[in-house]
This record gives sequence, structure tokens and C-alpha cells, in this order.
Amino acid sequence: MPEPGDGLLAARAAEGDEGAFEVLVRRHGPSLLRLATRILNSRTDAEDAVQDAFVNAWRRIPEFRGDASFSTWMYRIVTNRCLNVLRARRPTQDLGSVPEPPAPEHASSPVRAAESRASVRALGDAMQGLTPEQRACWVLRELQGLPYDEIADIVGSTHQAVRGRVFRARRHLTEAMSSWR
Amino acid sequence: MALGDDAYEEDPALPCGRTLSEVWEKAEETPDDPHAAGCPHCQEALTRLGVLDDYVREARDSTADEAAEAADAAATERLTARVMDLVRTELRPGRTLPLGEPADDVWITEAAAAKAFRAAAETLPAVYAGSCRVALTAPEGPMTVSMEVEAGLRWELPELAEQVRRRVRAAADEAVGVTVSAVDVRIVDLIDESGEEPA
Repeated sequence: MPEPGDGLLAARAAEGDEGAFEVLVRRHGPSLLRLATRILNSRTDAEDAVQDAFVNAWRRIPEFRGDASFSTWMYRIVTNRCLNVLRARRPTQDLGSVPEPPAPEHASSPVRAAESRASVRALGDAMQGLTPEQRACWVLRELQGLPYDEIADIVGSTHQAVRGRVFRARRHLTEAMSSWR
Repeated sequence: MALGDDAYEEDPALPCGRTLSEVWEKAEETPDDPHAAGCPHCQEALTRLGVLDDYVREARDSTADEAAEAADAAATERLTARVMDLVRTELRPGRTLPLGEPADDVWITEAAAAKAFRAAAETLPAVYAGSCRVALTAPEGPMTVSMEVEAGLRWELPELAEQVRRRVRAAADEAVGVTVSAVDVRIVDLIDESGEEPA
């Protein structure tokens, strides 16, 4: 027997069923953590952002009407939370000297850490040059593989604006990465 | 593609006349475009994008191996514990319903009654209970219960509705101690039990 659907669990959560909400957190936690880690380039910040997003979602779930899927709804809350974190980070950057990006914390296995995926880190560094909006759109498109329309829905923008941001992000990153090589 | 007026500078035209954004997007949408295949300018632009794509693939793959999955599982456990600790401290006062005789002054929250009714419905095989509202028809009762359920395809619908009603009434009498005058069952989804998850 498969598990109950998201819509049913969300309806229960909206009526105060914490157990149903816990199933949703477990089900969607991994992909939302990956999304936030990619946007924020930090696992610690990502865990905080996704935690805040879920607590916020619990408070707002009575308003969730199921016209979007629960997953899209959570993507929207997490992406907005990440955008706020990125925007709050920016004023500390002075235009002349871009500070060291927070070191991406790689998975705990020592073997993996030793492999030190230099190119993945280089990509993370190059992403520091994107605006928060470009970064979120690019991650949703290239790393999460979502269609433009869904991204527009998540970031509250238009299909056309999302395409423009993804293009500018690609342009910046192709330049940054070809000089890295 | 038009990026908007402000984008003119950012989307340079290649010597072949196509803009960079056009070249990249066409490659996604029509991979066997004859112009791009034979155009050196387009090819160069695509090679540059290809370099980025390699890094992107590596970044995606780096989160897909076993060690990364184990780390994700640990992070999800931490996340779930932290979120649920916070959720449980948040009071969400719901409606209360009277229990027993009016003079008894004993109450139960709608959420607690709903929990008992859902649990009763879910004693049936391949049945999941969703929304469950309990409403008083008069200030002191009786009550009506409206419940949504998802069920496996093994069920005949009238039989399912009847069984859910019976379980809910039994729970109302025995477990909760309220008088229920009607149980309204809505079957919102039928689940293919061969393994497909409901949407």
C-alpha cells in the first residue's frame, strides 16, 4: 500500500494534526535541504533556512488550499527564505574586495572530504557573483531541473523574467568557469 | 528571445546574427538545429556553455552518491526533530466540543476528536483519512462528522462509505463519548495499490 498523498496530509496538518505534518517534513526535507544548500552554498545556513520555512509553513498551512502542489508551495517558501538570507549577506560585501565565500561543508565522509571536489567548489565560488534572484532561478533551472513556468511560480515572477535571469547567470558562470580552467 | 530593453547590452549578437541567448535556448529546444550545427560562432558559444554544463553535472552528481545520501538522511532527521519541537510548542487553539451531559462541563478539542475518528477509519485496510471536521448541530450536540478519505482500489465505494461510517460511530460512542447524528464520508481519491503514489 502506497503512502497517503501530500494533499491529504496537508489537509490533516491544516486541522492541527502534527503527525501528518511530520510525515510531510520527512518526505520533502531532503529535496528542500538540497535546494537550499545549492542556493546558499552552506549546509548549516540551509538547515536553518529550511527549518524556518517549515515552521512558517505550519503556521500558514490552514491557508494552503491545494491549488499548487504542496511541494511547489514549500519550494516557494524555502526559496523566499533563501533569498532573504542572501540579501542580508550582501551588505557585508564591499565592491572592491569580495570576501571569501563561506566554505562549503562537504558531506561528512572523510574520503569525500579528501577528494575535495575542487571544481564543484569553484562553481560555488563563481555563483557568489550572481544576484540572489539570478542565483535562485539558475539553481532551480540547472540543478533542480524545473521548467521555467514552475520557477516563475516559485519566485513570483514571469516566465520571461526567469529566462532572462537564467541567461544572465549562465553568461556570468561560463565566463567565470572558463577563466578558472 | 527578447530579454527586455535593458538587456540589449547583455545579450550580444554573434557575427552570424544570432544572439547568445538565442543560441543557448535553441540548443535546448531544438538540439538538431541545422544552422547551429554548421555555424562556427554558434559552436563556439555552445562549447563555452558545455564547459559550464560539465561542472553543473559534477555538482549534481556530487549530491547523488551514497555518502551524500547518508548525510542527507542525517540532516533530514535533525531537521525533522528541530521542526517538530518548535511545532509542538505552538498552540493552535481549535474549537472545543462538549462531552457528556451539559452539566458535566467537560470538553474535547475538535482536533482531538478528529484524531480519534481518523484513527478509527484507518483501522480499515487500505484507507487513509484526511480532513475531518466535527460540527455541533445544536449547542449541546449531537454532532456531525465530515471526513475525507483516500482508499485502495480494492474497495467498492458504497461499502467503503458504510464501513467508515460504522467505525466512526463506534469510536464516537466508545472512545470519545459524543453523540454523532450523521457521518458524511467523501472519497477524494482512489489509490492504485500496485505501487503508484497518489498525486
